[in-house]
Amino acid sequence: MTEFKPLTYEALTVGEEFVSDAYLVTPEDVDTYAFAVDDHHPWFFGPSPFGGPVAHPTLVANQALRLRHSRYVVHAGLHAKMQFEFLEPIRAGMRVRSRGRVVDKYERRGKQYMVTEFVTEDDAGTTLVRGQFTQMLIPA
Amino acid sequence: MAIAHDIAVGQELPPLEKDLTQRHIDAYSGVRTRSIHTDEAWARQKGFRTTLAQGMMSTAYVSEMMTRLLGAGFIKGGTMAVAFVKPVYAGDRLTVRGVVKEVRPEKDGTRVVVEVWCENQHRQKTAVGSASGLLA
Repeated sequence: MTEFKPLTYEALTVGEEFVSDAYLVTPEDVDTYAFAVDDHHPWFFGPSPFGGPVAHPTLVANQALRLRHSRYVVHAGLHAKMQFEFLEPIRAGMRVRSRGRVVDKYERRGKQYMVTEFVTEDDAGTTLVRGQFTQMLIPA
Repeated sequence: MAIAHDIAVGQELPPLEKDLTQRHIDAYSGVRTRSIHTDEAWARQKGFRTTLAQGMMSTAYVSEMMTRLLGAGFIKGGTMAVAFVKPVYAGDRLTVRGVVKEVRPEKDGTRVVVEVWCENQHRQKTAVGSASGLLA
């Protein structure tokens, strides 16, 4: 049973780790994402150099971005920075999971920020995407 | 889809234009109450004039531009580092731009590094950074 607590700068600990639930990427997800970002590349729906359809490289980025929601009630926040390395294609049918670790928190010009490193893996443990993001905390 | 093989430093990539409707934002973020992305009243309460697009949507646009340039060499082997410097609101039109900054050999091939940015309909930059991928 997870006990959620409000996300505050004080509650956040550098070094704390998050793990998402496993998530099955479906063809419908690929289709919805294509609509959302208005990118209907033919490789998302048919043959590609990888031997079949692949998903948009950023398809599951929100899984990583929302890692903190697995433990905290997030009042509001703004995304300040994002880094990606796309290591292997994501495909419908994969079950993916993201893991993250808070590597820094800091205050600048009266604003509070947290920095999280993440990896997104398939169910065989292959790293698909890794990176780091910085989020600004908006107080309640 | 044709992939460009003659890539030179200083080359400008074909820009992408994106109209960010609330429907696109809803599809991207998932509709939730108390969300600055999909709950207009909540967004106003938090000090914004209306709902905001997730910054992550701009990374998808950069990804599209880089995949058009490099194809498989971005989907496997691509990188991106972007800072979100200004909010993007529902109803904004973004233009995504890129200029090739570097072409360098690596052990797995030739890496193409592109300076990327998004600007809104007022020509204000909303996201800035770089992206790279491998030339097939």
